[in-house]
Amino acid sequence: MDFSTSLALIAPELVLSLSGLVLLLVAAWAGDRSARVVSVLACVALGAAFALCIPVVSGGLAGPDRIAFDGQFRADAFASLAKLMIYAASLAALILAPAFLERIRSMRAEYPVLVLFSAVGMSIMVSATDLLTLYIGLEMQSLAAYVLASFVRDNTRSAEAGLKYFVLGSLASGILLFGMSLTYGFTGSTAFDAIGVAVSGELNTGALFGLVFVLAGLAFKISAVPFHMWTPDVYEGAPTPVTAFFASAPKVAAIALLTRVLMEAFGGQVEAWRQIVVFLALASIVVGALGAIGQDNVKRLLAYSSINNVGFILIGVAVASTQGVSAMLVYLAIYVPMTIAGFVAVLMLRDGAGDPVERIADLSGLSRVRPAVAWCLMIVMFSLAGIPPMFGFWGKFVVFQAAVQADMVVLAAIGIAASVIGAFYYLKIVKVMFMDEPAGVIEPAGGQPGNASLGALLAICTLMISPFGFLATGWLGALADRAAASLLLLA
Amino acid sequence: MVDLSQYLPILIFLVIAVGLSAAFVFLPMGVARLTGAHKPNAEKLSEYECGFPAFEDPRSQFDVRFYLIAILFIVFDLEAAFLFPWAVSLDLTGWPGWITMMVFLFELAIGLAYAWKKGALEWD
Repeated sequence: MDFSTSLALIAPELVLSLSGLVLLLVAAWAGDRSARVVSVLACVALGAAFALCIPVVSGGLAGPDRIAFDGQFRADAFASLAKLMIYAASLAALILAPAFLERIRSMRAEYPVLVLFSAVGMSIMVSATDLLTLYIGLEMQSLAAYVLASFVRDNTRSAEAGLKYFVLGSLASGILLFGMSLTYGFTGSTAFDAIGVAVSGELNTGALFGLVFVLAGLAFKISAVPFHMWTPDVYEGAPTPVTAFFASAPKVAAIALLTRVLMEAFGGQVEAWRQIVVFLALASIVVGALGAIGQDNVKRLLAYSSINNVGFILIGVAVASTQGVSAMLVYLAIYVPMTIAGFVAVLMLRDGAGDPVERIADLSGLSRVRPAVAWCLMIVMFSLAGIPPMFGFWGKFVVFQAAVQADMVVLAAIGIAASVIGAFYYLKIVKVMFMDEPAGVIEPAGGQPGNASLGALLAICTLMISPFGFLATGWLGALADRAAASLLLLA
Repeated sequence: MVDLSQYLPILIFLVIAVGLSAAFVFLPMGVARLTGAHKPNAEKLSEYECGFPAFEDPRSQFDVRFYLIAILFIVFDLEAAFLFPWAVSLDLTGWPGWITMMVFLFELAIGLAYAWKKGALEWD
């Protein structure tokens, strides 16, 4: 494999990392006054990387000529589709930030740079076909994320979130590394295809322990139950734009990574890992749904909602077929705008002093104070609950359809039953917003700076998950099918 | 008769999950309980340093700038750790190896420039 061919395959990552390095120097020399300019330039870089991934996705490219650096990295349609979602979510995180951070004088020029580096890390994660590439990508994403969580460093909640995320994240990395070393020791390779060959016959106990530890470490990163306990605290403490970022892009990256590890490295041992993934999926769905009921903070509620959604996504992974992977990708593509819209709507709510409003009780009567935001939030909640005709229904439908066609009827039935529990608290928010008397906390729409960009983002995301989203089902399904086929081509 | 051995992976997984979660909760409690009875007295609580009474409060805060120096040290220490194996295997890796290391050094130089400009290398 020629060196320049490899470089051509990592063009999106090259664009992002080079612009990240240049913008880091700009941030150092021009200071925090340049934060807006750096943000705009970072958006341009993300847009360029996005454009570079489009032909790979639409062409459904796969096969040996998409492998770079002697099997360390693969830029196939599956990875590129995940990258499109990651870059779009990172872009949203950049657009959201100034309105929130400038008010508390915490908008620094390093914010967009950190988001860029995190996006590079996630790109490497989804393209990794070797345990070491996987770890480098994961750490690059995580290190940037730890700093982002504590970005408002004079706020104790934000500092606590960053510290908690760092300590628990390093622990997860340790578990993952332990699993990787066991896997390497018992299979003799760190490359996914070589591991796949080594475990294709009998799975010996050592490699099984390796698989279990790798799964536990990755479950931490996607905040699947029973490794979810950090999620509500970190999501609540981190600045809201950062929380929106955490709930969208890293989830896509970690789930795509998990799928690739399971399907490529352990594709011959589906029975061994399927039971674990099924357990993770059902536990996440149930704990996510039950945990959200008692919450009085919107950000904590959305954190439990993301745990719940990860469970549904994992059902697609557990099916372990082209159809399951495709369903998972469709669900992710719907989940990202859904989550971002939820956090944008929360970001737009301010009280009289201009401080962000996060308590659910303060949302009461929102339909009369801020009708547009209330209607958007209602669409988000119905969509998260999976109620037709919102687009969130389609994500759940394809996942359950894949499960039923793979003869996993019990899994699908429990999932459907548990999603009814989830509907309770989503509908409770709608009830609070539309049927309760106004609490008088939230300020009516005013000329707050930056609200135009937030409003536009909210409108776009809400449009995607509204019934209009169904116009895209055929197109989205075809893209996801081709991406899933590209993943399983060599497995 | 159901073959229970096929459920070994989920058993191991659950043991690890429950074990790790329980370890976080109970390990600090157990260690605190086992490391002696809680009977403080003035002699026990007095601080003790190399046979002398302590000269100053051992819990004094020290400057956060030491952390910065430590972090910068790790960065350049790691660089040295990479440079040794790179140097002795350069005849095997050839030009791609040389270019890759130069890219790595260039990135570190950017990091150093950033830290320098931000004032991380100045004590005052």
